[in-house]
Amino acid sequence: MRLTPEELRARKRRNVWIAAALVAFIVLVFSTTVLRLQQNQASERALLEAATGTTAQ
Amino acid sequence: MTDVQTQPAISTAQPEDFFQLLKPRVMSLVVFTAATGLVVAPGSINPLVAAIAVLCIAVGAGAAGALNMALEGETDALMRRTRGRPVAAGRVKKNDAMAFGVILSLFSVMLLGMNANWLAAGLLAMTIVYYAGFYTLLLKRRTPQNIVIGGAAGAFPPVIGWAAATGQAPWQAWLLFAIIFLWTPPHSWALALYSAGDYAKAGIPMMPVAKGAKSTRLQILLYTLVFVPVAIAPAFVGLGGLIYLVVSVAGGLGFLGLALRLYRSRAGDEPDKAEAVGREAALYDVRAQAKPARDLFAFSILYLMALFSALLVEALSGLGA
Repeated sequence: MRLTPEELRARKRRNVWIAAALVAFIVLVFSTTVLRLQQNQASERALLEAATGTTAQ
Repeated sequence: MTDVQTQPAISTAQPEDFFQLLKPRVMSLVVFTAATGLVVAPGSINPLVAAIAVLCIAVGAGAAGALNMALEGETDALMRRTRGRPVAAGRVKKNDAMAFGVILSLFSVMLLGMNANWLAAGLLAMTIVYYAGFYTLLLKRRTPQNIVIGGAAGAFPPVIGWAAATGQAPWQAWLLFAIIFLWTPPHSWALALYSAGDYAKAGIPMMPVAKGAKSTRLQILLYTLVFVPVAIAPAFVGLGGLIYLVVSVAGGLGFLGLALRLYRSRAGDEPDKAEAVGREAALYDVRAQAKPARDLFAFSILYLMALFSALLVEALSGLGA
């Protein structure tokens, strides 16, 4: 099967956008994970403070 | 033989075609209303979490649009307003559009669940299924009430935004839902009044096609009489402040005036002359009689934007109730 230059160009552009979308998705999942970890740590610290009545270092 | 020569070996669809599948204009309204729901909800939310949540809601709504276009390609090809859409015009294959919609649906729902909470993700999933499955496959071709029931899909974004921010969907969020839900019939039927010929050609029983223009004009007026008080209600239940009150009352009176003018007009009564002679008339190239319908359609978009803008401005500036 021989592809025309137009088909090749279109496929290349689609591939570039798919790659960009995948990278964006990875960045979003990573950001979400980091945010979740921070939130969990903060709530854990708050619970500890409430339990001990002291300010955690 | 000719088919083999003219048919491309692989798709020549461009990224822009796939972007068009997301219905970017509808998406912008979704982003706006979802962001408003998220901002007016009580409490605070991390800005990055909020931004990712709005992005997920926008992509989810876009995915629903892509599924709708995949399922409606043949019908879209029959109507002037929609015949340029990627699937209808043959630029994107039906199965490609379907796969695109399904993948984006899964990714957006999953990411919203991980990022915000699973209530918001569940509501987003329900919205996609409601629009692509319930509205597109079941309702649209079966009943002239299609847009009334199907309009709920467009009304969910502020509830999803609220749920993303708080993990709850209280009655205040559903009041925002009710505003968009009741706004949809007068908005859509005003458009249908001056494009009824297209809907009839495509076999879609929109109200003017099924019940006639006169009945549609009456129903637009009746829905407006219910919609306007609901649109003003947030000012009296602690959601909106003075700015919202002024905007909703002034705009509501304008909306009511235009609906009354449309009711007294003959919009939608005559067959479209442009269609009769087979001329390629643009959507907004309507007859003089249809002007009240066109005016109400344009004003309805402006009014909804103004309502949600007022809520957004008040919430962000601290001027709210």
